Amino acid sequence: MVKIVEVKNVTKDFGGDEIITRALRGVDLDLTAGEFTSMAGPSGSGKTTLLNIIGGLDRPTSGTVSIEGKEIHQLSAGQLSRLRRDRIGFIFQSYNLIPVLTAYENAEYVLMIQNVEKEERRERVLRVLKEVGLEGLEHRFPRELSGGQQQRVAIARAIAPEPALILADEPTANVDSETAGSLMDLLRRLNEEKGMTFLFSTHDQAVMRRAGRLIRLQDGRIIEDNLQTGNR
Amino acid sequence: MIFRVAWRSIWRNRRRTLITAASIALGLIIAIFFIAMAEGVYEQIVNDGVRMQAGHITLENPDYQMAPAIDLRIGDVENIRKYIKKIEAVEEAKLLIWGQGVANSGAGAVGVSIMGVEPAVEIKNSPLARDIVAGSYLAEDDDRKVVLGEHLAKELKLGLGNKIVITTNNARGELVEELCRVKGIFRTGSDEIDGYFIQIPLNFARKVFGLQADEATQLGVILKRPQDQPMVMEEIKSALANKNIEVLPWQQILPEVASYIRIDRVSNWVFQGLLFVIILFTILNTLLMSVMEREREFAVLLALGTPIRKLKGQLFLESVFIGCLGCFAGLTLGGLAAFVLQIRGLDLAFLMPEGVTISGFAMSTTVHALVTPPVFLWTGGIVLGAMLLLSLLIMRRIKKISLAETLR
Repeated sequence: MVKIVEVKNVTKDFGGDEIITRALRGVDLDLTAGEFTSMAGPSGSGKTTLLNIIGGLDRPTSGTVSIEGKEIHQLSAGQLSRLRRDRIGFIFQSYNLIPVLTAYENAEYVLMIQNVEKEERRERVLRVLKEVGLEGLEHRFPRELSGGQQQRVAIARAIAPEPALILADEPTANVDSETAGSLMDLLRRLNEEKGMTFLFSTHDQAVMRRAGRLIRLQDGRIIEDNLQTGNR
Repeated sequence: MIFRVAWRSIWRNRRRTLITAASIALGLIIAIFFIAMAEGVYEQIVNDGVRMQAGHITLENPDYQMAPAIDLRIGDVENIRKYIKKIEAVEEAKLLIWGQGVANSGAGAVGVSIMGVEPAVEIKNSPLARDIVAGSYLAEDDDRKVVLGEHLAKELKLGLGNKIVITTNNARGELVEELCRVKGIFRTGSDEIDGYFIQIPLNFARKVFGLQADEATQLGVILKRPQDQPMVMEEIKSALANKNIEVLPWQQILPEVASYIRIDRVSNWVFQGLLFVIILFTILNTLLMSVMEREREFAVLLALGTPIRKLKGQLFLESVFIGCLGCFAGLTLGGLAAFVLQIRGLDLAFLMPEGVTISGFAMSTTVHALVTPPVFLWTGGIVLGAMLLLSLLIMRRIKKISLAETLR
């Protein structure tokens, strides 16, 4: 199996000279292509920090992270930016859509900065918006959409460039349980149909149960890493 | 997309954008209005000064400036005038004979500046000929007639038709006395001119000062457009290269006026500049606020892989849009206000009932602005340039964004 993510002995410290908070304490983690992995743990266990480091949004204090064999923290800022643009999709807890862009334009954004041709962009954006169930809502601005619909736009934005890895930080935290269930079904379907690798953090037991692999973090360490039969 | 995001972003907080653009517009309106008004005043001073005296360009004996004396005259003036009047940019060429003397009446004697003029030319050009408050201005065939200033008339207790004796030295150095009569009294509002100037017809002046028919102390060239001065000077200089005649700009003939304009213009621009710097700080604060409150959004865009130069480009465009909006409003409204002031003028008599003199020249209390394209280009250019500088300052903020912290 192709390794998409390889995390080796990663630590992360926050704080200054006097008070240091150790968010990650030697994390090792491999993700192979097409995995649908959930990361659980109490607040402060290091889930978001690990996602940020894997996504190249933050640097580890020590250890290495490789995406598709490239050690990402050795890359220049420009190379890292291109890696995020082309190979990693992000889904945030609070959607983080661009408020001045419509659903269509938000989904189109990354394709634009990738310089994808206009016709191809249009075809891909309409397809992903249909896949996430937003057909007919393309021209609505985020403020005109419900929380669940906004998160679907965020998912469409993440999958439109067809990245190898999608990192989602509590993607269902801001929606009701029914919407959370349908969003997870959507992510799972995209994972199966497109073969994208998903790594998401969550507190929600129902969400955890849908993952093919469940990792539990506590105090900056992985304390459990199990494949969940029936899901993968 | 960056263009679209920038344009829509500035309208996200419509009130803030409008206030920022309005600040720019207000700065421009004030700058254009006051600069155009000052330029109008300068033009009026220069126009009145050169038309009353020796033109935008003066031809005279090379030694006359150092020690003005009646024997330092120039000859062949009619031929020279004929040549000069053929130049397209020239409106008029006037002859002057300018000497010093003493004016005597039964009430006393006063040192005066005696100006021999061509009445027909002066009536068309000189504001002095229009400032007659008693009697009438000179005519071509007047002999032994003078017009003099109101203060001088008062001092010598002279009325219309009264006798006045002019005493002076002629070109041969001989003392001459001429009995004349007062034909008109002028009031320009300038103490210097109204208390010191006497005008007599040119032909009579030739007789008084002992000059030949084709001689004068100055030949003044009045231009249709003052900005043609260097070009016309060059043309005249090359035509008169073999003659002992100096060709001087009005700035050398009226240096105190030129200095006044230079100093006033610089101080006006500095004042407007300082005012605008204050406004720019307010704008900088607003732009910075708009960036700081969108840091999370910028962090998302960076996380999605947006190159930092594209985000900088977005901020640059936002500044340009706001700058252009402000410039458009400011240049339009400021230009309109100045244009109305140029056409209608603004009578400041209620502020200056005693009148106003600048560098010895009486000014009309009605001020007309002068709107010129360079004022728009300079003020608009400076504002847009300043906005671009501000955008460079706020761009630095983008580099400081910590993705993980901002997205937390």
